Amino acid sequence: MSGIFEYNGGSIVGMKGKNCIAMACDRRFGQQMSTITTNYQKVFKIQDNILLALSGLNSDIHTFYALMEKEINLYNLKENRKMKPTTFANLVASSLYERRFGPFFVTPIVAGLENGKPILATYDSIGCKSDLDDFQVGGTGGNYIYGACEAFFKPDMSPEELEEVIGQSLVSGCDRDSLSGWGGVVYVLTEQKLTVKILKTKQT
Amino acid sequence: MIDFDPSTFGLAHTYQKEDKDEINTLSMPSAPQVIYRSLNGPTQTNGGNKLNNFKHGTTTLGFVFKEGILLAVDSRASMGSFLSSEQVRKVIEINEYLLGTMAGGAADCQYWLAYLANHCRTYELKNGSKLSVAAASKFLQGILIGYKNSGLSMGCMIAGTDLSGQHLYYIDNDGMRLKGDIFSVGSGSTYAYGVLDNYYRYDLSLDEAVELGVRAIYHATHRDTASGGVVRVYHIHQNGWTKVHDGIDVVDLHYKFAQQKGLVGDGDEAKQRLF
Repeated sequence: MSGIFEYNGGSIVGMKGKNCIAMACDRRFGQQMSTITTNYQKVFKIQDNILLALSGLNSDIHTFYALMEKEINLYNLKENRKMKPTTFANLVASSLYERRFGPFFVTPIVAGLENGKPILATYDSIGCKSDLDDFQVGGTGGNYIYGACEAFFKPDMSPEELEEVIGQSLVSGCDRDSLSGWGGVVYVLTEQKLTVKILKTKQT
Repeated sequence: MIDFDPSTFGLAHTYQKEDKDEINTLSMPSAPQVIYRSLNGPTQTNGGNKLNNFKHGTTTLGFVFKEGILLAVDSRASMGSFLSSEQVRKVIEINEYLLGTMAGGAADCQYWLAYLANHCRTYELKNGSKLSVAAASKFLQGILIGYKNSGLSMGCMIAGTDLSGQHLYYIDNDGMRLKGDIFSVGSGSTYAYGVLDNYYRYDLSLDEAVELGVRAIYHATHRDTASGGVVRVYHIHQNGWTKVHDGIDVVDLHYKFAQQKGLVGDGDEAKQRLF
């Protein structure tokens, strides 16, 4: 389990539905094989219609989130308007590339609703944006979650269905990864509201 | 006239050993031979990083108490961070009066404990009495010293009953053999020791001892990523061993213990920010 991306562990997943998006993350904060806490926040509400999920080194998760929070606050103050999700998605990419030769050890997923249309973007740690897929994963358990997503996902799901599917995919994926798990949180964003649900998962 | 040398009495063979006359006491493929001794020191596994020593990615524990010996183990096998199985059997039933626990290389433990089982049975047949726990553990130690520095990975406990009572030994691939009352082996052992040392008494009842063993393994599986799955519990007493629990899911234990404290168990006791 060497590698800076595997030091803290953790997994995230984002999915598009019909006029809604969902994000899910595990809750483990560990140091290699030892678990420190089981309530670490990895999904952040940047704006009412934008969610940012981060996986990788927990220190950089926090730092990069703080940087994005600062950027969006300054944008709101200077431009006196909300930032569009596609704009934020680009901002994440350029902020990551700014640190091309000393990167943040994170793999972000941005999810948002722009005029009702779902937006989902994922990046590598130096800012290569990929925004054409219906679901994306990140973190140490990512590959295992991919398998479950491929099996359960179908396009244009309702918010309730999406919540169920993303929750099951996260849990099945994290069950095969020893560095992720210890709880899960599912966020479903629609035009009207953001629902947050805590999953009862394996605590081992 | 005596036409053979009396000094040959007492040896297993009183004639020239011929291959076809030798009863093959091992019905399995013969043990691997170490061809040469490495002059470079112990074979490095996992880059010599002791803190992250995956080779013992497990939690097993055993302790002696007034009703005999209790062994409790987890059931997770991992290859790096990938969980290959949550249903492994880490207590190996050597025979009806001896048990061995597995930590480290599964193949190494399974093979050598089966080899030990074979040896115990052969001894029983040849000598009419069972091999003592001390002798069985010493035999295993002898084998492991022979393979020292060749890269075997085993941290096992041998527990059993014989005419002098119930005994617990710890044997590892370095050739260490320790007799003791409390042992915990594996990456989760530090967490298990914390619980075990806190509540251990010699005069525990069987139910209390089982509860202690289960709790200690649960706490280790919660904190250690290389331990998990189910808890298996065995009890060794003067008539042999009994399997007390074949597999209690540690996830159920987590929520049961949380409920006993009046909590939900989903990590939200401190009411952390969610978004």
